[in-house]
Amino acid sequence: MSEIRVFEAKQILTMDPTVPEATHVAVRDGRILAVGDARCADEWGAVTHDTSLADTVLMPGLVEGHAHMMAGAIWDYVYCGYHDRIDPEGTLWDGLSSLEAVIDRLAKIEATLPEGAPLIGWGLDPIFLPGDRLGRVHLDTVSSTRPIAILFSNFHLMCVNSAALELAGYSQSTNVEGVVKGADGAPTGELQEMAAMFPIMRRLGIDFRALSQKESAIRSYAQVATRAGVTTVTDLFSQLEDEDLDVMLAVSGEDAFPLRIVPALAASGDPKALADRALALKARSTSKVRLGAVKLMTDGSIQGWTARVKWPGYVGGQPNGIWNMAPEQIKSTCAGLHAAGVQMHIHVNGDEASEVVIDALSDAMRSASWPDHGHVLQHGQMMDDAQFRRCAELGISVNLFANHLWYFGDQHVALTIGADRANRMDAVRAALDAGLTVGIHSDAPVTPMGPLFTAWCAVNRQTMSGKTLGEAQSITVPEALYAITLGAAQTLKLDDEIGSITVGKRADFAVLGANPLDTPPSALRDVPVLGTVFGGHPNLL
Amino acid sequence: MTPLPMTVISGYLGAGKTTLINQLLAEDHGLKLMILVNDFGAINIDAELLASRDEDTIALTNGCVCCTMGADLFLALGDALDRFPRPDHLIVEASGVADPARIANAALAEPDMRYAGIVTVVDGPAFPALREDPLIGPQVAQQITRADLVWVSKQPSGEPLPEVGDLTAAPVLSNQSAITLLDLVAKDPPTSTTAPTPHAAHIAWSASGHIAATGHALRAALDARPKGLFRIKGFVTDSNAETWQVQVVGQQIDIRPCAAMAKPMLVGIGLAALVRQEEIDAWWATASGAIKV
Repeated sequence: MSEIRVFEAKQILTMDPTVPEATHVAVRDGRILAVGDARCADEWGAVTHDTSLADTVLMPGLVEGHAHMMAGAIWDYVYCGYHDRIDPEGTLWDGLSSLEAVIDRLAKIEATLPEGAPLIGWGLDPIFLPGDRLGRVHLDTVSSTRPIAILFSNFHLMCVNSAALELAGYSQSTNVEGVVKGADGAPTGELQEMAAMFPIMRRLGIDFRALSQKESAIRSYAQVATRAGVTTVTDLFSQLEDEDLDVMLAVSGEDAFPLRIVPALAASGDPKALADRALALKARSTSKVRLGAVKLMTDGSIQGWTARVKWPGYVGGQPNGIWNMAPEQIKSTCAGLHAAGVQMHIHVNGDEASEVVIDALSDAMRSASWPDHGHVLQHGQMMDDAQFRRCAELGISVNLFANHLWYFGDQHVALTIGADRANRMDAVRAALDAGLTVGIHSDAPVTPMGPLFTAWCAVNRQTMSGKTLGEAQSITVPEALYAITLGAAQTLKLDDEIGSITVGKRADFAVLGANPLDTPPSALRDVPVLGTVFGGHPNLL
Repeated sequence: MTPLPMTVISGYLGAGKTTLINQLLAEDHGLKLMILVNDFGAINIDAELLASRDEDTIALTNGCVCCTMGADLFLALGDALDRFPRPDHLIVEASGVADPARIANAALAEPDMRYAGIVTVVDGPAFPALREDPLIGPQVAQQITRADLVWVSKQPSGEPLPEVGDLTAAPVLSNQSAITLLDLVAKDPPTSTTAPTPHAAHIAWSASGHIAATGHALRAALDARPKGLFRIKGFVTDSNAETWQVQVVGQQIDIRPCAAMAKPMLVGIGLAALVRQEEIDAWWATASGAIKV
């Protein structure tokens, strides 16, 4: 007979209306056996009482429904961003608010590097730094011999020093789009887009695929998740090559590995072949790696002016964005995958993209019946009531990008889509009112993983400048807690296993230092995360 | 090592990119091509040409190889560069919505590569309606704007070619052998000493002797050439006797410093249907005067 362990907590928020609050939860075989008081499991036999969590508040393990594996291993590089951020080991890296601070940090790290190793940074966002734009002249003060490359937060740009420019053969006579030149005709050090960054990445060994697939990346990702109270996380847009999947299955299969990963296969090519591959992957699922879903990229990003938006377009008069898949390809892929019974997570930022996708799914459903398809529109940042209503009719869920409100809200008002549409961005209220299954997300590493922060964003809708962006779309704290647990679990079709503290579900808990329901809504993001319990095993920070 | 030349084949879904790639793989052009495609779906290899085939690679008995690139194109470019022995020429099939310049720029940026053109394939009969499509029309038009060569597929004989003159000054070809394409982008233009009789469709040109120029004047001179003179390569020297390498492919003019000394000389190849020898000579008579130092 397996051991029955009864965890005591200050409070347990179950997210299950049958027993909304409790003080004890009993675990057997990694699953929830009983919920209630100290005697809740007595009818099942001898129990062991565990008081190690008695001072904490438990919630269902939080679910991050849209993030990327790279959020862990990117910390192999030096953080150079504007916002405070915590690395997988738990070290707080202060946000850097001036060029001098960036150079200072780089110089400190440079001094610790072995000879010959390049210095690579990430997370830089010049929009927040006053004064000069970072250039090779600044980086040359850090080192004139060691190659240095600093990736911007959007990963589309980088800035390098003279030593790196020389490695790539970039000089005054270089005439390549994306190799930015100054008034003196010499490269400034800024390189824009992959083609211009390619020679540097090749020579300095910057490899985005390795950042997402190697063993250490998977372990870092679990650390990032545990720090955020997350026990189930997605990796949306994964190549899932056989050898990479072998590594993921091996690492996650270790008993002590505290995370369930839901990768979604990157969609490309012929829908039939894609569906076959997704179904073959699904057959390799384990309890901790859940395969079978596919991710479609349709448009770009709003802050990059590459999202496909409906009339009246961008406030600055920028041309409409770009399709990463042609609308007819979106249609044929939706039709093919839906007919084959493959769940889709579909990236849609602009409202024209969400409209094209809703049309495509509607067509797909007319030709093949699959009522519990569970397709999810991811980001859905500009969706309005009419689109939410159509989603409700079609059984489509949404996972909205609440973190954008804080990180990019001010820019959306001033620079991208203007106040009217920014006020109804990431309209969680409207989506809930339409009766949809709703998740909210971070898109880590685009913004830091932290479902309680994401919940705070959806509740308060506050921007970095302190403005409230469309109060009418605010949701309550209980609604936000639903969105980061059961709601997100439903978007992954895992709500029968996770998302609430309910008998029979997996014993995955977030361990918190305070009860979010007793915390003022404006302080929700400050609720301390102490760790997680995964399959009945505590992982305290 | 010799830089790996890269040609990007762009074009909207169904434009005929794969048909062109099938021709490139099958025709007897004598080059060891490496072709990166999105998927093998419509790649069609005659049994007698097939040497081996697995999930990601098809090897041909003529030395060509066709690989799928997965979703990370730049990773695949890196792999192509690391391949030993290096292929003679790399051909990349862009996705149906890709901006081909974002790929081709890598060949300009990367010292181990050489830019060898953007060929945009256009479905002649379908193009007029596609261009008017409010959702995808602008992206399709941009692919043509970026082209060094427009390759019209599915063109019924006797029908006029689609009108793309407002989008690009690039030559527009239709219903040609893929060898024509490789002669233009992949093979070195014949020099005066080695030149066999040029293919009837092509016109060869060369200039030697004292070609001393650099910078803007040279670029402007090359830019003003008759558009039918598609490709030029060679070396020039500047007033400091430094050597510069010149590579012209369609709209792209690349002039970069060259460590080795080389005899000043330019060779070119053009399309006989678009340019006459006298036009080229007239252009060079003016241009060579303008760029003398």
